[in-house]
Amino acid sequence: MITSKNLTFSYDKQNTILEQTNLSIPTGEFSLLIGPSGCGKSTFLKILAQLYPKYAGTISGSINLDNLQTAMMFQKASEQFTMATPREEIVFALENLQISREKYPTRLQQAVNFAGISHLLDQKINTMSGGEQQRVALAVLVAMDVDVFLLDEPFASCDPTTRKFLITKLAHLRDLGKTIFLSDHILSDYVGICDNLFQFRDKTIVKLKEKEKKLLLHTNDQHPTYSFSIPVHESSCFTFANTEIKQNRLLLSQHELQIIAGKTTLITGANGAGKTSLFEALTQMLPYEGNLTFNKQEICQLSPRKYLRQVGQVFQEATDQFINITVLDELNLSKKQRSDNFFTDQKIQQALVNLNLDQLLDQVVYSLSGGQQKKLQILLMLISNQKVLLLDEPLSGLDQDSALQVMKLLRQSQIDRKQTLLIISHELTNLASWCDYHLVLANHQLTYVTK
Amino acid sequence: MNPSFKFLLALIISLEISFESSLATNFLIISISIIYLLIKHVKLKNLLITLFAPLLAAVTIFATLYWFAPQPNLTNALSLSSRIYVYTLTIYCVAVDTSAEQMARSFEQNFHLPSKFAYGVLAALNIVPQIKQAIRQIRTAAMMRGIYLGFWSPTLYFKAILVALNSAENLAQGMESHGYHENATRSVIIKIPIKVSDWTISIIILLIVNLSLFILH
Repeated sequence: MITSKNLTFSYDKQNTILEQTNLSIPTGEFSLLIGPSGCGKSTFLKILAQLYPKYAGTISGSINLDNLQTAMMFQKASEQFTMATPREEIVFALENLQISREKYPTRLQQAVNFAGISHLLDQKINTMSGGEQQRVALAVLVAMDVDVFLLDEPFASCDPTTRKFLITKLAHLRDLGKTIFLSDHILSDYVGICDNLFQFRDKTIVKLKEKEKKLLLHTNDQHPTYSFSIPVHESSCFTFANTEIKQNRLLLSQHELQIIAGKTTLITGANGAGKTSLFEALTQMLPYEGNLTFNKQEICQLSPRKYLRQVGQVFQEATDQFINITVLDELNLSKKQRSDNFFTDQKIQQALVNLNLDQLLDQVVYSLSGGQQKKLQILLMLISNQKVLLLDEPLSGLDQDSALQVMKLLRQSQIDRKQTLLIISHELTNLASWCDYHLVLANHQLTYVTK
Repeated sequence: MNPSFKFLLALIISLEISFESSLATNFLIISISIIYLLIKHVKLKNLLITLFAPLLAAVTIFATLYWFAPQPNLTNALSLSSRIYVYTLTIYCVAVDTSAEQMARSFEQNFHLPSKFAYGVLAALNIVPQIKQAIRQIRTAAMMRGIYLGFWSPTLYFKAILVALNSAENLAQGMESHGYHENATRSVIIKIPIKVSDWTISIIILLIVNLSLFILH
């Protein structure tokens, strides 16, 4: 049993995350932690991983880990690797734990089989997709064979199949006696697997009763089907003709395709299929072969300054989007770029209130939580008003309420300004019902589908 | 050859030729290095870059000592300017088939350098591509919001430094979460051995260099 007694944690005087929290987490079980973005889930996990208060904040009260060894997987997997390749990283971690050379091959094999990363073992980590990096990060923890697995939104960039696969695998680890403690915003696929559900409420964490847990998990476990139409004779915004996109390996080889102007198109596909690379090609960050045109003009020949004022992107990592320091600076910069009166000052203020960002105006953008950064990032890109907006996982790291608010804003802006939206997302619940078209990226091909 | 031995050898040779000037030895080392690099199949483009890049420094030294000196001495000028090439080429020989990982491991195991130094440097090297990517991304992000960041723009560097600081902080936590603790003992899974041949090759090379320094003085 991992227990906390009167645990209080704060980053600074105004910013208390946990207050007088008394909690016990059963060992050898599967526990899930939920709560709105920015409530302190990552912070709590880092306290359990004994990284805090060493690296940030002050703590009072006590936490008893029952002499168990813990290891944690971060929200941003990319920032957790010391070495260049998964194999090197696993060796590094095992050497740290003083594992002998004889035991190394079995540990490596276990980890590789667990996460299904044998094909990635010697690839450079910084060339992998977000979902692949998350799988590698998980593999390292499995190789380390610790008692307690602390996972901070471990499936945020994973496709639904990988997500399901990894949850089942984690359940198997639990059956072998490991303690699994993870945070997530999506509650599907946990029925029959999750033993304990913990929730952040008013700066403390409570364990939900069995009945509440079951109700919450069951209502969130529906896999509704969606239907989309196939575009016919509509004006296109992007046109592909014998287009090839490569990054280390061939990602896309598209004979012909049109992406429809003024509509919302959803793009899905497995981890590492090349969805983000497709966006990079569309924003001139990655070269392509063949033809790829925007309003009948070849994209690589357009001046980036003019082109990128028409085609914007909401990056997968929110911090990549920020240019200034505080929330207010960022807002003011976007306000300057307004080219229509859709976002009046009043409307922006309202949006800030709805997104729970209105109290954070003076805060440095990098000190916001993952979810707060995401919300701010999307608001900024909507204010700057591009004709085409590419959104890469706009809902990752957002709690249900925030996701709904973000969707409302996106949808309103799309309808009123006839924006073209291209959305990459694994999370379909809030999104799929109002997307016009659905493109699936598989076998290096983008194809319109009706389901 | 053992990476630490290679590194030490290059260091000793560089130090020796810094104290004892011998044009013939310099040229001997330069030609052997180039032959070694060619045997190792380095890309011709990389070799040419390595030969052209130090040219400015070499020419400057030569100019100072030969064209602008009150009593010009051709041998002396050539000897000093060719040193630049000894330094760059020997280090290139060290780097040519040694990865950063092997180097760090070797320093840790053979030289008993503190592991925080070895892995700190490695981790920092791994941030470099991230910083490059971040710079590319921030320029794109800025253009999307109507701002052009030229390479002279302070915002660009501010952002790059911010990314570096942020990554450094996260990396320290990342290392610890993967079981790394400063000053703790670590096991050795990938061993970097010191072979008899490492000693013999190093001694032979040092003997040749020293003999040539004395004889061809």
